[in-house]
Amino acid sequence: MTPTIQLKGVSKFFGNIIALKDISFEARKGQVTALLGDNGAGKSTLIKCLSGVHTPDEGAILIEGEPVRFRSPRDAAAAGIGTVYQDLALQPLMSVSRNFFLGREVSKGMFLDMDTMNEVTRTEMGKLGIDVADPEQPIGTMSGGQRQTLAIARAIYFGAKVLILDEPTSALGQKQQLEVLRTVNQVRDRSDIAIIFITHNDLHAKLIGDRFTFLNRGRILADGERTEIDTDNLRNLMAGGVELAELETEFKQ
Amino acid sequence: MASNDERLRQVSLARDIVSRPELGSVFGLIIIVLTFMSLTSISGTFSAMWTNPIGIQAWVELAAFVGILAIGAALLMIVGEFDLSMGANIALAGHSFALLLIFGVPVVPAIFITFCELALLGLIIGTIVVRTGLPSFIVTLGFWFASRGLAVFLSQTLVNQSRLSVTEQLKPPAGGGEDPSLIDNIFAFDRAFGLPFDAEVYYFAILVVIMALMLHKTRYGNWIYAAGGDPQAARAVGVPVNRVKISLFMLSACLACLLGILTVMTSGASDPKAGDFRELHAIAAAVIGGCALTGGYGSVVGAVLGAFIFAIASRGINFVPFIDNNLFRVMLGLLVLGAALLNQFLRNRVLKT
Repeated sequence: MTPTIQLKGVSKFFGNIIALKDISFEARKGQVTALLGDNGAGKSTLIKCLSGVHTPDEGAILIEGEPVRFRSPRDAAAAGIGTVYQDLALQPLMSVSRNFFLGREVSKGMFLDMDTMNEVTRTEMGKLGIDVADPEQPIGTMSGGQRQTLAIARAIYFGAKVLILDEPTSALGQKQQLEVLRTVNQVRDRSDIAIIFITHNDLHAKLIGDRFTFLNRGRILADGERTEIDTDNLRNLMAGGVELAELETEFKQ
Repeated sequence: MASNDERLRQVSLARDIVSRPELGSVFGLIIIVLTFMSLTSISGTFSAMWTNPIGIQAWVELAAFVGILAIGAALLMIVGEFDLSMGANIALAGHSFALLLIFGVPVVPAIFITFCELALLGLIIGTIVVRTGLPSFIVTLGFWFASRGLAVFLSQTLVNQSRLSVTEQLKPPAGGGEDPSLIDNIFAFDRAFGLPFDAEVYYFAILVVIMALMLHKTRYGNWIYAAGGDPQAARAVGVPVNRVKISLFMLSACLACLLGILTVMTSGASDPKAGDFRELHAIAAAVIGGCALTGGYGSVVGAVLGAFIFAIASRGINFVPFIDNNLFRVMLGLLVLGAALLNQFLRNRVLKT
């Protein structure tokens, strides 16, 4: 099966800084590809390359086997890449359904078709297990987990084949983190969407990941299926393995 | 499936009412009306202010004048910007219109040209704001000086006058031919139809309906809220934030233009002091009406109510001789502060209920 999205030798430089070097990895539909790495490992740069904010300096991005070149986030969105950023890109004072359709509103003649937008919002959120009693309530009244779900539901509804989740659990309380993981699992069960789950939480990655890719200092440190990776040792790999061991010896001295 | 957060309550109807941005100004209007009804009763001027047509005209026409600007001020505040140049642009538009008439341009092209000039001015202001990233407060403060200065400079250089009388140009010519007063009557149509109020009252009513519908029922209105609420988030989903902002600066300049031309048509002259301080009155009306200075929150209807509060307090004080006129400014200041506080309280409630 062709991977839904595949990177071949992607590099990105900012002046003399090598942000990404020779990155190759893939994500397949119906699978969660966990992208792990410490702060500064290049996760954000990689996401920005995938979602059209940056253009890679070397290498190729392939979607369903076809090479693509994104010049803007709009290009990436049109190609089926849905990115859910950490800060979510939501408007706290606007209603749930207005947020859902912001920038892609449905109009009937001159005016917004609120009935349709409310109905779609309710249905799509329902598919991910959130019952929205009132789609016209301000989004500020929803929990952080529910807002993540809204951003995910929105990306899927507008045709995402690849769903990129940027640290979706990091800003949330413990209970809401689990809510989001449940949502991610539900999206995986649809089996038509490739999920790239960016995190530095090894427990979450272990819980939900089917494939693991480790980034360290702009390079791939390890990459493989769940069976090929020592999932009990995720934390070590993420911290760069050796460094953690070094620290351990240092503390013992 | 039940809601995953048991702390969410069903508060639909109650919250709908409480979360309206204009709720504070509804209370404010009721209080102001009751206050001035009692005060005028005490001083025996109740009928002069509330039933006499001239008394009613006094505050309704002021409300319309300030209200037309307040529509622009409110929309700009919702998108997170200010326009301090609105009042000065009234004088600039009036002078431009009057100068065109003096130089023999017929009324209709003069109106058209003046609107184009002011739209261009709004385009320039808006472009400076979005391109430089300077606060619009500073940029439009610059134009607060520049617009009125330009108006007076042009009129003094070209016709050596700072107050421009155009009663001759607006009169029908003696030998027949095109009658400018006919156009005058179509644009400033109150006299043509024998309507009780000045034309700006009807323009105001029409503009309120159009702008309120635009703001709440169209995609453009949705973008205004989003561009003001969180511009980065709005850009991320493809909202053309800069274009929305520039278009509203153009609208604000055009509203000032409408008032400038109407004033010249009604009074037969363009005064360099026309519209002085009106931008602050309009912003006060928008604030009283529930617009957040931080953007993303507010309504046109609230600004309209704010304009009525301002006008009733402003004109009403003349009907109450036992209160010093200067006290009016103190009262207005407290009103703006009180309204801002109440609105902040209500806004926080929206997010909590």
